[in-house]
Amino acid sequence: MRICRNLSVLVWVAVVVCLTLFSACTPRGTANHSATREITDDAGRRVDLPATVDRVISLAPNLTEIVFAVGAGDRLVGRTSYCDFPAEAKAIAEVGDTLHPNLERIIALKPQVVLVSTASQLEVFTQQLQGQNIAVFVTDPHDLEGVFRSIERIGEIVGEKEGANLLVQRLRERTNAVEQAVKRRPPVRVFYQVSGEPLYTAGHDAFVTDLMRRAGAASVTSDVPGAWPKYSNESALAARPEAIILPSGGSMGEANSNVAEALRQSPAVLRGRVYKINDDHLARPGPRSVDGLEEMARALHPDAFK
Amino acid sequence: MTSTASEVVASPARPHRVTLRKTLIACAVLAGALLLAIVLMALLGSEQLPVRASLCALASFGTSTCGLSQDQFDILFQIRLPRILLAAAVGGSLATAGAGYQALLRNPLAEPYLLGISNGAAVGTMIALVFFGASEWTRPILAFTGALAATLAVYRLARGRAGATPERLILAGVIVTTFLSSVIVFVTVLMDATRIRSFTFWLLGDLSGTSKALLPVTIIIAIAGALALTLHARSLNLLMLGERDAFDLGVEVGRVRIVVFLVASLLVGSSVAASGSVGYVGLVVPHLARLSLGSDNRLTIPAAALGGALFVIVADTVARTVIAPRELPVGAITALIGAPLFIYLLRRA
Repeated sequence: MRICRNLSVLVWVAVVVCLTLFSACTPRGTANHSATREITDDAGRRVDLPATVDRVISLAPNLTEIVFAVGAGDRLVGRTSYCDFPAEAKAIAEVGDTLHPNLERIIALKPQVVLVSTASQLEVFTQQLQGQNIAVFVTDPHDLEGVFRSIERIGEIVGEKEGANLLVQRLRERTNAVEQAVKRRPPVRVFYQVSGEPLYTAGHDAFVTDLMRRAGAASVTSDVPGAWPKYSNESALAARPEAIILPSGGSMGEANSNVAEALRQSPAVLRGRVYKINDDHLARPGPRSVDGLEEMARALHPDAFK
Repeated sequence: MTSTASEVVASPARPHRVTLRKTLIACAVLAGALLLAIVLMALLGSEQLPVRASLCALASFGTSTCGLSQDQFDILFQIRLPRILLAAAVGGSLATAGAGYQALLRNPLAEPYLLGISNGAAVGTMIALVFFGASEWTRPILAFTGALAATLAVYRLARGRAGATPERLILAGVIVTTFLSSVIVFVTVLMDATRIRSFTFWLLGDLSGTSKALLPVTIIIAIAGALALTLHARSLNLLMLGERDAFDLGVEVGRVRIVVFLVASLLVGSSVAASGSVGYVGLVVPHLARLSLGSDNRLTIPAAALGGALFVIVADTVARTVIAPRELPVGAITALIGAPLFIYLLRRA
């Protein structure tokens, strides 16, 4: 009996403590609920946002680049350890990396919006943030149009709609120029080597597959399901690619700078058509993706840009 | 006690009386099946090769192209065949090591994975990849070192005042396994995001990165290891009666134990360095061998070596063809086949 009573006292104490903590943790901003707007993200979620946003956290390097490019770098209060561009970004507080963000630190920074890339797959994490009344905006571009859309949306969120539209307009012009230049050239059959051992490539759903198509390349793995499939060595050999793209350098350092063994006798290697292109321009769907597009197009069709 | 023990050893079970003839027949049958599997599985892959020309080229040991194009010839001899041979070496190594541990520890669940030996080898390989990425020779050396260190740690932990009982040993293995698993997680978290993906694939067991330089070494170690343990099979049979009885019967228990630990560490180290952690092979294959051929190690160990090679060759063919041109890690297939088979075997036994 006494044990039961002690237990019930304990339970009540626990309940009171929890309630106190809970009310203390509820953000004060909730009183401001009248002035909100709604915006739909790439995951199809409706996100409620305050009328003005001046505290943003980015959980992916491409999103950090977008926030800076639309002119809202001063509103960024947190970033991941991978966010190393532009240089000013490094002065901003780190909140872990894309795969392991630190929830406590994020809440302590009191953001109004957290920008997430679905690549980081943070479902549970997203729910926890929403429980704290912090809006979570998800981007998931599968092609260059999707990137332009993310830029415009993020511009809208941070109140830099004009800056974002101007940026997208300039990026579109550069994209059109590339597409016009390579339009009449036969597409080059390309193998995109994400890593050599084990062999990974870019599949149908990868953002970079669309970028390659626009750069006048026909990716030999564009029909393979998934975004980054592990690929068969013998299929790579049998594909006989005319050119190989090695996303390397940038934050990748020297990783992935050698052609996979199965491709050492490919026409691409025999004719010296192996192109290393800055991985940060190809793997981060952001403003610099158009740099990657130009670099690929110039490498694959040098005559078109004389 | 001693006399009954020696009787049991002389004829372990009537239907499974082991003679040299029976051993040779069983091994010849398994070796024939292995050879057949190597040829047949070489005909399967994500790319379709002409069957007759491929068979002709295989029969000529690669001296004639038999009308295969250069690419087809390269696929067959540079990609498929080395990978199949590696699968055979890895499967043979792991099954032999498993059979050795099971006999020595008198525990049917003893397995390189359960004892933490594979994780030790994996940590060694990771250190080699992170710090000496360029030289592939450091991988098997550090993997062997890691496997041996894990073995010694397990052994030290298990050795109580009353000697190393099998129960203590398995428990020590669980502790070492979980500890080394956290080390692996720690290292992967510290590593570049770009390298995590290839590591997670490798940790599940992957044969696609067959290294031309290491392949012969892996094969030689597999054969030498299986022979070494087969030569100790008699002592292992006696050890299965209990260490004290074995000692009374003249077995140098300490020396046999060291030999088994060294050889098994070498086998696990070389296979983990080449292919990551392919699970369930060391558990399922020796069980199958015992169930079908009896529990005399003179037959179990060579049969497990050949059967393990066969098992991993078939599992890897599934891994590289079932969603072609994409690939699965072979460890996922061995676990998918191995776990249900193991449950079935346990229920039947």
